[in-house]
Amino acid sequence: MLGDLGSAGLAVGLLAAPLAALLWLRVALVGAPARPARLASTGALLAAAAACVTLEAALLGHDFSVRFVAENGGRHVPAYYTVTSLWSAMDGSLLLWLLVLGGYGALFARGRPDRLQAYAMVVISVVTTFFFALSTFAANPFRAVDPVPLDGPGPNPLLQEHAAMGVHPPLLYAGYLGMVVPFALALAAPLAGPAGRQWLRLARPWALLAWSTLTVGIVLGAWWSYAVLGWGGYWAWDPVENASLLPWLTATAFLHTSLGGGRGRERWNSVLACAGFLLVLLGTFLTRSGAVASVHAFTDSPLGPLLLGFVLLAALAATAITGHHRPATARATAPPLWSRPTAVLVNATLLGTVAAAVLIGTVLPLLAEPLTGSRVGVGPGYYQRTAVPLAVVVLLLAGLPPALRSRTRADALRRLALPGAAALATVAAVGLLSRPGPAALTAFGAAAFVLTGLFAAGARGGTRRWAATLGHAGLALLAVGVAASASYQRVDEGTLRVGETIRVGDVWARLESVQRAAPGGRMTVRARLTVSSAGSTHTAAPAMRYDPARDTAVAVPAIDTGPRRDVYLTLLAVAADGDSATVRLAVTPLVGLVWAGGAVGTAGGLLALAGAARAGRRRRPQPAGRRAPATTRMPA
Amino acid sequence: MRRLIVVPGLAALLALAVAGLLRSAGPAARTDPVAATAAELRCPACQGESVVDSPSPIAASMRQVIADHLAQGRSREEIRRWFVARYGDEVLAQPPARGPGLLLWVVPAIALLGAGAAAARTLRPRLAGSARRSGARTRWPRHPGSARRSGGRTRWPRHPGGARRADGATSRWSPGPVCSLTAAGLIALVAAVAVAADGLAPPAPPPADPAAVALRLAWDLEGRQQYEAAAQMYREALRERTDDGVQLRLAFALLRSSDAAGAERAAREVLDHAPESPDGLLVLGLAQRATRPADATATLRRFLAVAPSHPAAAEIRRLLDP
Repeated sequence: MLGDLGSAGLAVGLLAAPLAALLWLRVALVGAPARPARLASTGALLAAAAACVTLEAALLGHDFSVRFVAENGGRHVPAYYTVTSLWSAMDGSLLLWLLVLGGYGALFARGRPDRLQAYAMVVISVVTTFFFALSTFAANPFRAVDPVPLDGPGPNPLLQEHAAMGVHPPLLYAGYLGMVVPFALALAAPLAGPAGRQWLRLARPWALLAWSTLTVGIVLGAWWSYAVLGWGGYWAWDPVENASLLPWLTATAFLHTSLGGGRGRERWNSVLACAGFLLVLLGTFLTRSGAVASVHAFTDSPLGPLLLGFVLLAALAATAITGHHRPATARATAPPLWSRPTAVLVNATLLGTVAAAVLIGTVLPLLAEPLTGSRVGVGPGYYQRTAVPLAVVVLLLAGLPPALRSRTRADALRRLALPGAAALATVAAVGLLSRPGPAALTAFGAAAFVLTGLFAAGARGGTRRWAATLGHAGLALLAVGVAASASYQRVDEGTLRVGETIRVGDVWARLESVQRAAPGGRMTVRARLTVSSAGSTHTAAPAMRYDPARDTAVAVPAIDTGPRRDVYLTLLAVAADGDSATVRLAVTPLVGLVWAGGAVGTAGGLLALAGAARAGRRRRPQPAGRRAPATTRMPA
Repeated sequence: MRRLIVVPGLAALLALAVAGLLRSAGPAARTDPVAATAAELRCPACQGESVVDSPSPIAASMRQVIADHLAQGRSREEIRRWFVARYGDEVLAQPPARGPGLLLWVVPAIALLGAGAAAARTLRPRLAGSARRSGARTRWPRHPGSARRSGGRTRWPRHPGGARRADGATSRWSPGPVCSLTAAGLIALVAAVAVAADGLAPPAPPPADPAAVALRLAWDLEGRQQYEAAAQMYREALRERTDDGVQLRLAFALLRSSDAAGAERAAREVLDHAPESPDGLLVLGLAQRATRPADATATLRRFLAVAPSHPAAAEIRRLLDP
């Protein structure tokens, strides 16, 4: 019953989305009324919402005749994780994907769309059509199951361990799918004639929204994996993590090349806007098709060829439409070398190179197997040699804006002196007192450069400058957190009998007891340890859970978070007699700065979004009128 | 005057910073040679984890092998070669820079050079040759006013009701063919997905783990009230892996298939090392009601003492005090 309802919802969406594409095309071509087109787009959104609600109802009502519920539901699963199990596997998460995509479409179609927006809506509607078709034909979660099972296994136990399951995937999807709007506008610009000139101004708020949600989604995911996976780290250069980083890199580059109206960088803007969404699609292919092995590959499905086909189609369309489009307004005079345009392009070049390194590192295992017949793995070492040094240079660039605003060369040098001295002093002090390794040391120096520069420049300037300051400060804080936690983390691991201790630096942990319990078929082994560090004592209880329904064991670490460092205990194994346990003790300094930096950076993105939206509203009622040129002050 | 202070100060800081950098990069920076070697190897049983990070038993024994080799005085390079000889190139955390491994360095280099050249051309457009640029403008759709940026918006008045735009450029051609072509394209897209989805292989079965398969079967059989067959499958799973949760499920299944003696044995196996297990006590007590009714009451009272809020506690209380 619910299954039929859900399938009907998908069918409505599959009709509404292509209808919307055609109606928007009519709006774009002949200026037909936008109302029917908007109705069709809203219809697609409502269809996606209906499908999501139906599947949620089936999950909460334990309707095991619905295939997705039979595979991912379970009577023993708490209500919260039953709700979140909608996106715990491929087919259900595709519904959430459609809901977010439909939401972006409906939001973007508001107001009185002009020809540019109408063309962009055609693109968004075509993308929506594809995903509706995918959900209906290839990954329909509503198929009936016969015979109906009495209970299901519940979602993957790893996805039932942390409350972030409720927010991380939706935020990540909001970030991914937000990229569709700049992509659609970049494709629409060459088609829409003179109206196309506005595309960058329209795209920027959406890019900021996508960037902010993607940033918070990625950082939240890092925190989640830190709190759940039990290895004491938060970023493993895993294919799924890389797939989320790739669009973030190009979106960051886009936010910078589109500054100041993006004049003189038309080609860069359109390439970066397209790359963002194409990388989202490619990432979906990589992670959703089971093509690459990953700890995050919670979904395994036969959608690979379809997704790859669509990635190629989208790339082909993007190249065909924007490829012949040449900038009409050529710059009369080249900008001086020491100016924001230069910095922005160097930034884009470096971020593009980082993206290329991460991309080839992620897909090489996929390419190498058919080419050579042997399996290869690309580990963190590769990224530490390629992406990390480039990222340190990018971080240095983030300290330049205050100096780039100066009018004369002498003034610029003066503004660089203090941050430069702070950076060198940091490198000297940290390098002589400890040995964090060259990459971390330069990262500390670069972060000191950025933070001192921003602090010295003060809090003058409008919303946009505040947003940039926050964004850059967040990046610097994140870099300090990453560098410190990577180079100063100390780990020990050992098998303890009750009463024995393990020690890392000045942190001691004594095993007090090992307990077993089996509530609701999930067996839990919990070790109790007394942890004493720097005079204070607390009890930690890392655990291991075994889920017989999924036949997997999950280690639940015990984390004591402090401002200076985290003490992280993982239970690795327990002896059968129950009085000894293998534990891993990790002491990680400053790891909290990673989350704090992510939060500050996101705040910067949201502030810029607020500024851009306000500027857009101010500008909108003016029928004609020249826009105030938003260029940088450049040295004469 | 200030320059006389600032410049030598910065130079001194630079010298100190270089000293710090050199010290940090020095050979003593890597404290643990086992960890440094293990970081270069990939754990064969894991997904994307290096031997140094992985908690898996295979990685632990690989770390042990590395430590043994180092103790015997072998160099890190020799140990790497030893592992490659045994497990092939795929044991390396990073493929060697030959064959497809070369792509790891060539692709970023091309990206850097390509984007760098594009950036240089954007910044210095004159150097790129003005001849090509002069022809570019003609490729724009020639709308009136298209050459002047500020004019773009004024010439496209918004029509509140969406009336036909007063625009000479679009009225030249009819939208019919474009709309039909797009409709055909959309139908082709949907049809392609539908046809391809039909022909796709079903999802690959999960790696054959006999215990997991047996557990799943047992689960399903229990759901259909075939307790004897379910118990058989639980026994199969236990042969692969001892686990208290499974052992207790076996005990319950045996109890339901009226094999009280078997249930008692299974429950005792759990209680042997976890004497306070509530589920263990519950099954044991229920089984004893059939085998040794004299002991059953005591066992069930112990169960109630251990787990007074167990879901089955109320039922048991009713059973004990009718």
